[in-house]
Amino acid sequence: MTGYILRRALVSLPTLLGITLIAFAILNLLPSDPLLTWSDGAGPVSAEATSRLRDALRPDSGPVMRYATWLFNLLRFDFGHSLRDGRPVTAVLTEALPWTLILNLSALIAIYALGLPLGWIGARRRSGTAAAGRALLLFLSVVPPFAAALLMQRLFAVRLGLLPLQGTGAGGAPGPAAAADLLRHMVLPCTCLALAGWAYAARYARAAFRAILAPEAMAAARARGLHGFSLARHFAPNSALPFVWMVAGIVPALVSGSVVIEAIFSWPGLGQVLLRGVEGRDYPLVMALVLLAAITVLAGQLVADLILPAIDPRLRDLVARDENVHG
Amino acid sequence: MDRRRDGAPAGARAGIAILTACAALALLAPLLVNDRPIVARDPTGRIIFPALRAGRGVASGSGDVALLWPPIRRSWRDVDLAATLQPPSARHPCGTDLLGRDLMARMLHGARISLAIGFGATLLALGLGIVLGGAAGLRGAGTDLLLSRVIEALSCFPPFILAMALQAVGGGGIGAMVLAIAIGRTAAAARFARSETIRWRGTGIWVAAHAAGASRPGAALRHLLPLVSGPLAVQAAFGVTHAILLESSLSFLGLGVPAPLPSWGAILAEGRGSLDVAWWPVVFPCLGLALTLAGLSWAGDRISPPIVARRLLR
Repeated sequence: MTGYILRRALVSLPTLLGITLIAFAILNLLPSDPLLTWSDGAGPVSAEATSRLRDALRPDSGPVMRYATWLFNLLRFDFGHSLRDGRPVTAVLTEALPWTLILNLSALIAIYALGLPLGWIGARRRSGTAAAGRALLLFLSVVPPFAAALLMQRLFAVRLGLLPLQGTGAGGAPGPAAAADLLRHMVLPCTCLALAGWAYAARYARAAFRAILAPEAMAAARARGLHGFSLARHFAPNSALPFVWMVAGIVPALVSGSVVIEAIFSWPGLGQVLLRGVEGRDYPLVMALVLLAAITVLAGQLVADLILPAIDPRLRDLVARDENVHG
Repeated sequence: MDRRRDGAPAGARAGIAILTACAALALLAPLLVNDRPIVARDPTGRIIFPALRAGRGVASGSGDVALLWPPIRRSWRDVDLAATLQPPSARHPCGTDLLGRDLMARMLHGARISLAIGFGATLLALGLGIVLGGAAGLRGAGTDLLLSRVIEALSCFPPFILAMALQAVGGGGIGAMVLAIAIGRTAAAARFARSETIRWRGTGIWVAAHAAGASRPGAALRHLLPLVSGPLAVQAAFGVTHAILLESSLSFLGLGVPAPLPSWGAILAEGRGSLDVAWWPVVFPCLGLALTLAGLSWAGDRISPPIVARRLLR
């Protein structure tokens, strides 16, 4: 098992290198002079700005040299300095990261907490409720997330005045009051971020549960005298699989979705940083964020691949066989 | 189960009908909503078609005689500050926006842009993906190992983030946008192309094509591509859905089509500021997007079985 974990992690290394290469290539192999592109063709405004840009972008050294320098700095968690205000990119990111994490993790929990039961109901019942659920899910999957967010913001924050419009609350001293305020501010962005995920999760879970809880399997289990709790325990490991599989699909969607949701709700997270970075052509910042996003997705896949054999004996057998082959 | 199968063709038909209607409206937009006549006679007596010509010339000053006008004589870019935020009426079927521009005209021209970017980017992504994945699957060995790493690395980038970053470099414009979205969606197509190539390589069809003297890429394109056209169509339908969503999200964030051009996302973003007093600049683009996406998803969910069946039965 340790061998499998090590090998699986090693396999990710070339991909990781490829990710850095692509992230670098996108923002560095510009056909034009980055200094001119940055300043919209007008040329940098002042000598100081020019020298700062030259320091940051180093257009004169070759791309291979620049990539090597960038990669070396990455190993020390040095992403360079923001072109906008000269602050270290790492500082900008660490400031915004907690906000994005808290929003995305709550959305992930919300997706699982509601999507899986919905999928379960869809798989078990063919009644009117299930049909209504399906119609709702179809509706959720065709309304663009930003449109839904705008309309929900308008309805709950402006018309009904139930929830705050945007932002993260007043902050202040940490305590129950501040926490409650933060929670109230999180309800809308979190729900909107989870909307598209619910449709995906429920659809996915329905298909998975339908296959796992096939009538034949149920009948066989019941015939052996399982019922109630023991029946649930019998099917639990298999039913846990979709939880893990789904991570690979949900994480990239969350990473993308939170950019739009953060923009609508003025949530001070990484999405806002990326948006401002793209608007201001802040290349070091954008490079760092693109890299981070890709690494997050890669890590999600890795975690799913590591957890799956722990749940699924069939995969464990595969892993064991694999280990015998590889020595 | 039976009920579901019986219902399927109806859903697919509805989806395809919606898509056809959207495409027709988008294609015919210049003939439906335009401030220039469809048919006119110029001073020398020749018949001309001003609505079909690009550019801005208005017929009145040049001495042309208009013979046939479009049903709605509005332009998608004419600002009318005397008629801002008009509710839907006979004059403006979808109302007007904050600058007094006719929303019907902007919606229809926006459909043109949104659909063109959606389909264009998907076609480009499929093309790039088929080349990349096909090469990996055909060459095998070292090439496959290398290209597979590239595809895998590329697939780790969330398409939306990648497209955003590329917009920072590309500097806006529709071409740059199509390319940005296409690159974001290439990995999915390449994965599909690679696995299908490997699946069919070495089958009877493949050997027969070789015996007949076909080259490897030739055999792949002429004999394998038609075989996978069913799943490919489903991939394409999902791809277009994603591309349209990407485009509208980018435009919504102000990173999409350049300012005066209408796209559904851009109209929505412009209408956002005036949502307190006017619902129409937000609701109509939402409806357009939702209808198109629903059409694509119905058509995509059910498009494959008939195509595959037809291919196998022939």
